[in-house]
Amino acid sequence: MICYNCGCRLSEHDFCTGCGADVSVYKRIMYISNRFYNDGLEKARVRDLTGAITSLRQSLKFNKNNIEARNLLGLVYFEMGEVVAALSEWVISKNLRPKKNIADDYIEMIQSNQARLDSINQTIKKYNQALLYCNQESLDLAVIQLKKVLSLNPKFVRAHQLLALLYISGEEWDKARKELNKCIQIDANNTTTLRYLQEVENMLIPEEGAKVSSKKKNQTKDVIKYQSGNETIIQPVNVKESKGVSSLVNMGIGIIIGIAIACFLILPARIQAAKATINDELRVVSEQLDAKTATIDEMEQQVNDLTEQKAKLEEDLEGYVGTDGALQATDKLLLAADAYLKNASDIVTVSEYLDEIDVESLGTSASESFTSLYGTLTGLIGPELAKNYYDEGYSDYRQEKFASAIPKLAKAYQYDETNGDALFYLANSYRRNGNDDKAKEAYAKVIELFPGTEKANRSEAYLAEMNNAN
Amino acid sequence: MINFEEELKKFHLSLEVEDAEEAIYNQDLTDMADIFVKMIKDMDHETTVHNESKRQIEE
Repeated sequence: MICYNCGCRLSEHDFCTGCGADVSVYKRIMYISNRFYNDGLEKARVRDLTGAITSLRQSLKFNKNNIEARNLLGLVYFEMGEVVAALSEWVISKNLRPKKNIADDYIEMIQSNQARLDSINQTIKKYNQALLYCNQESLDLAVIQLKKVLSLNPKFVRAHQLLALLYISGEEWDKARKELNKCIQIDANNTTTLRYLQEVENMLIPEEGAKVSSKKKNQTKDVIKYQSGNETIIQPVNVKESKGVSSLVNMGIGIIIGIAIACFLILPARIQAAKATINDELRVVSEQLDAKTATIDEMEQQVNDLTEQKAKLEEDLEGYVGTDGALQATDKLLLAADAYLKNASDIVTVSEYLDEIDVESLGTSASESFTSLYGTLTGLIGPELAKNYYDEGYSDYRQEKFASAIPKLAKAYQYDETNGDALFYLANSYRRNGNDDKAKEAYAKVIELFPGTEKANRSEAYLAEMNNAN
Repeated sequence: MINFEEELKKFHLSLEVEDAEEAIYNQDLTDMADIFVKMIKDMDHETTVHNESKRQIEE
């Protein structure tokens, strides 16, 4: 210690041996400064860095030239991640004592590594940016930025505290506690850290509150605590897990959850896919069915046409073919010719065969030879046959057997078309028998074929009478 | 209960390395010893002035 007045080294006396100045108060100030330094050193040793800063600042307020106090203050700042504050203290220290000052080594340590200096600067910038994000209420961005800061400078207490505050704001109590525990490991007695931690603990176990102390005692008996790096591991002792029933229950719950997931998530999708597949198949089948239905309709139409054609052909065939399968008309004509050749006078037999031939139904389909033979036979037996039929028919007519007379008179006219009487009496028979249409037709023929005759006149009269009656 | 807004106000921007020089220059390094010395010197000055004025009055 030197005299503030003359610069001489002071002795144990309360005055300067060089200039005689009273140095009692001055010495007392120096002692107080040293006392605060000692206090700060004690606190720094037990990692009460906040307390150490307070004491060392007090020390420097009493004596700014307390180089040890200033260097220690710088160290404490550096330990808390406040690198610029530390550098400031060390630079001042170096200015106050340029030689034999350990601050020189500290400054050298930082300045010699440019990468580290840049890293420090980046850390500060990011921290400031995070603080700006907080003020702009971009808390998520702030959290990300602070995590980057702490990855670069894990001892930055203020960053830990700010991150913990953000976690508290987001009610992420476990994360907040983790950050605050890291703070405590750096700075054991920081008031802000302890206040935050108390809040977090209260939020984590709010109902236990007062019972914490007693429970902690019990817990210490039931658990084993040990430190693994930065983590505190708490392992329970004498606690057996009930494996039997609980395992089965858990498996049951797992199976139920699995089934529920299958029912609510997987099955609907599968059912939907199956429905889509079925719909596609159904559409294809429907198209095929439509095509086949159209084909069936077409074929049914063809079948109907063919059936009609078949029926018509069968009907036509029946005209030609007899019950024994032979051609009926030709057969009858040959039989008639055979009967005539055997006995030319047996015109009854010949006429029976000829009567069975339906000339009208043959139409144009009859062959020329058939028509010629039929005409020859009719010509040969016709007049005599016609006379016989006319005689029998007229006899029946006279006896008013009109039903019997009609076919005979018709045959008589058929074989002898010049026989107007046969036609006239046929018409009368039709009329008297009640066949008015046939009667009118026959009367019309009489009028047409035999005009100017008595038969025609009477036919006109009957025809007029019948028309008037209608 | 912690008030986030109030707590946030307690956090201040950190000084960057470029700002360290200015911070050092602006730091008030006055200590108790300086104040004491100044007080002593002021007291001595007042005593000297008082003695001179008293001597002049006596003369």
